[in-house]
Amino acid sequence: MIPIEFFLMFAAILFVIGIYGIMTKNNAIVVLMCIEMVLNAANINLVTFAAYNGAIMGQVFVLFTVAVAACEVAVGIAIMLNVYKVKKTTVIDDLTELRW
Amino acid sequence: MNIDVSSIMDVFDSIAPVLPILILIIGALFMPAIQMIFKRGKVTAATALVVVIISAALNAHMLYHGQTGEFSSLFVYDAFSGLLILLFQAVVFIAILVASVSRETTARHVGAFYALLLVATSGMCFVATATDLLTIFVGVEMVSIPSYAMVALKRHDSRASEAAVKYVIIGGLSSGLTVYGISMLFGLSGTTNILGIASYVEGAGYSAALIIALATMIAGYGFKIALVPFHSWAPDVYEGAATPVSIFLSTGSKKMGIVVFIKIFFVLFVFIQSTKAGMTEGMQYVFAILAAVTMTVGNVVAIAQTNVKRMLAYSSIAQAGYMMIAFAVLSQWALTGTIYYMFAHVFMKGGAFVIVAILIHAGIGETLKDYRGLAKRAPLLSALMLIFLFSLAGIPPLGGFTAKFFLFSSAIVTDLGGAVTAQWMWLAFVAIINSAISLYYYARVIKAMYVEKGETEEKFKVPVPMMVAAILCVLGVILMGVYPGPFLHYCSEAAAAIMSLLP
Repeated sequence: MIPIEFFLMFAAILFVIGIYGIMTKNNAIVVLMCIEMVLNAANINLVTFAAYNGAIMGQVFVLFTVAVAACEVAVGIAIMLNVYKVKKTTVIDDLTELRW
Repeated sequence: MNIDVSSIMDVFDSIAPVLPILILIIGALFMPAIQMIFKRGKVTAATALVVVIISAALNAHMLYHGQTGEFSSLFVYDAFSGLLILLFQAVVFIAILVASVSRETTARHVGAFYALLLVATSGMCFVATATDLLTIFVGVEMVSIPSYAMVALKRHDSRASEAAVKYVIIGGLSSGLTVYGISMLFGLSGTTNILGIASYVEGAGYSAALIIALATMIAGYGFKIALVPFHSWAPDVYEGAATPVSIFLSTGSKKMGIVVFIKIFFVLFVFIQSTKAGMTEGMQYVFAILAAVTMTVGNVVAIAQTNVKRMLAYSSIAQAGYMMIAFAVLSQWALTGTIYYMFAHVFMKGGAFVIVAILIHAGIGETLKDYRGLAKRAPLLSALMLIFLFSLAGIPPLGGFTAKFFLFSSAIVTDLGGAVTAQWMWLAFVAIINSAISLYYYARVIKAMYVEKGETEEKFKVPVPMMVAAILCVLGVILMGVYPGPFLHYCSEAAAAIMSLLP
């Protein structure tokens, strides 16, 4: 059997890449993709713990997380489309009308 | 195959506690259809109001008769959830009254707007009843996702579309962080029930994984109540969104974040403190520092604002800092004070935003310059704004003062008339100094309205529903100030209900 640490390290790496992307990337669509990576890192964690501890609640949780992530991306992409229509850009550094 | 009829009856029996929430959800599904059939925004708004009133009446009935119930150990209806559901229903009532006539929300997508509003409200009520990390997470997302859409509904406005982008990215980051934290907690304790997690933490002590889990969850839910390192989205969103949406977010969504903190961290640490008193001290200091930094930064940055909506957003951040005191003190009296403060905050901050909405609707604008000479143009509105701002600053006969008195006193005494403890007294001092700072920027608005001269003295018309909302808020503020008894009674029962979860 594969040791549990492999899965947890994989999830942790995915989480860190996602957070790094959210902090540094300039394109709003790429940032949305990075948010998906963070959510999936959590999903991998949950499924791993459910499989290794024999607690089914983790898998139930993943179903809810996947549904929530899908809703979030649908609304997120719609908002990006709208901002592109209004401002002709999805680059976050150009969205500077609201500050202070 | 034999079906056990009694188990089906059990489901219907135990569904009764969540009935007020179900009414809201069913009402939300009908909103777009009603808008399509009648094609008039006022009819849709009136239907939404009726749905909220039915749900609130049922909830008030259940609360008054002290009904309690549990649903599959995922939801618990008790004095706390009943009171908080009533708070969220009051919030959405005010928001619908303002939205029904405001030019910012009646132009397009009216049916969708009310559906989103009701779904978000039911999500808040979900959080108020939830006792499991799963239901708390789903409830919070049920509020967040409709909120992104509501901010973006002002579609061709460049400020609103920019605010929506910022909101959806920060919201996504926050839910990602929280799910990661929840997955770690689940891995450690093998359960998502909060009391189960508490008894695990009590037995096993702190480990690196637990610290990561707590840190990511405090950060994730900290975004929702705009604690200071995580606050940068709040002013942008409140300024960019349509004002009825700002009312809903600053009064409702923020209270939901506080409720999440109570449901997770307050229960967790009070549980641990009851058996191992020394173990929670570090976390209490973390919350105390978060509270102090949040109120200070919120108040100091608010001084520099010239846009009134943005100033109110920063003052909202500061108010969240005051409410964080309960998590540092961790006593029943502190929790009572926080619940009382939440109610006062709904009325005073909601009322101030209602006045801002009226002025934007009348075409006057939202900067401090536009408020010059308002006392001549609209004496009643200026007087109401004066009351709300004085209440926010904590001037005596008003609700804000009473609430601040209860909350700040909890950092000094263990109960009303109880023993004085020195440990958190510095936090009360920081909070009182901050109240004094906040008086400065509230007084600037009052000076603009009453002392400075405006360009015109022309009167303008105020729509009746908006005026009704403002009057309701002012009644709440004054009643909570001069006659706190009944409110305090329900707040302390709610706090006792949270405490009774513990062994």
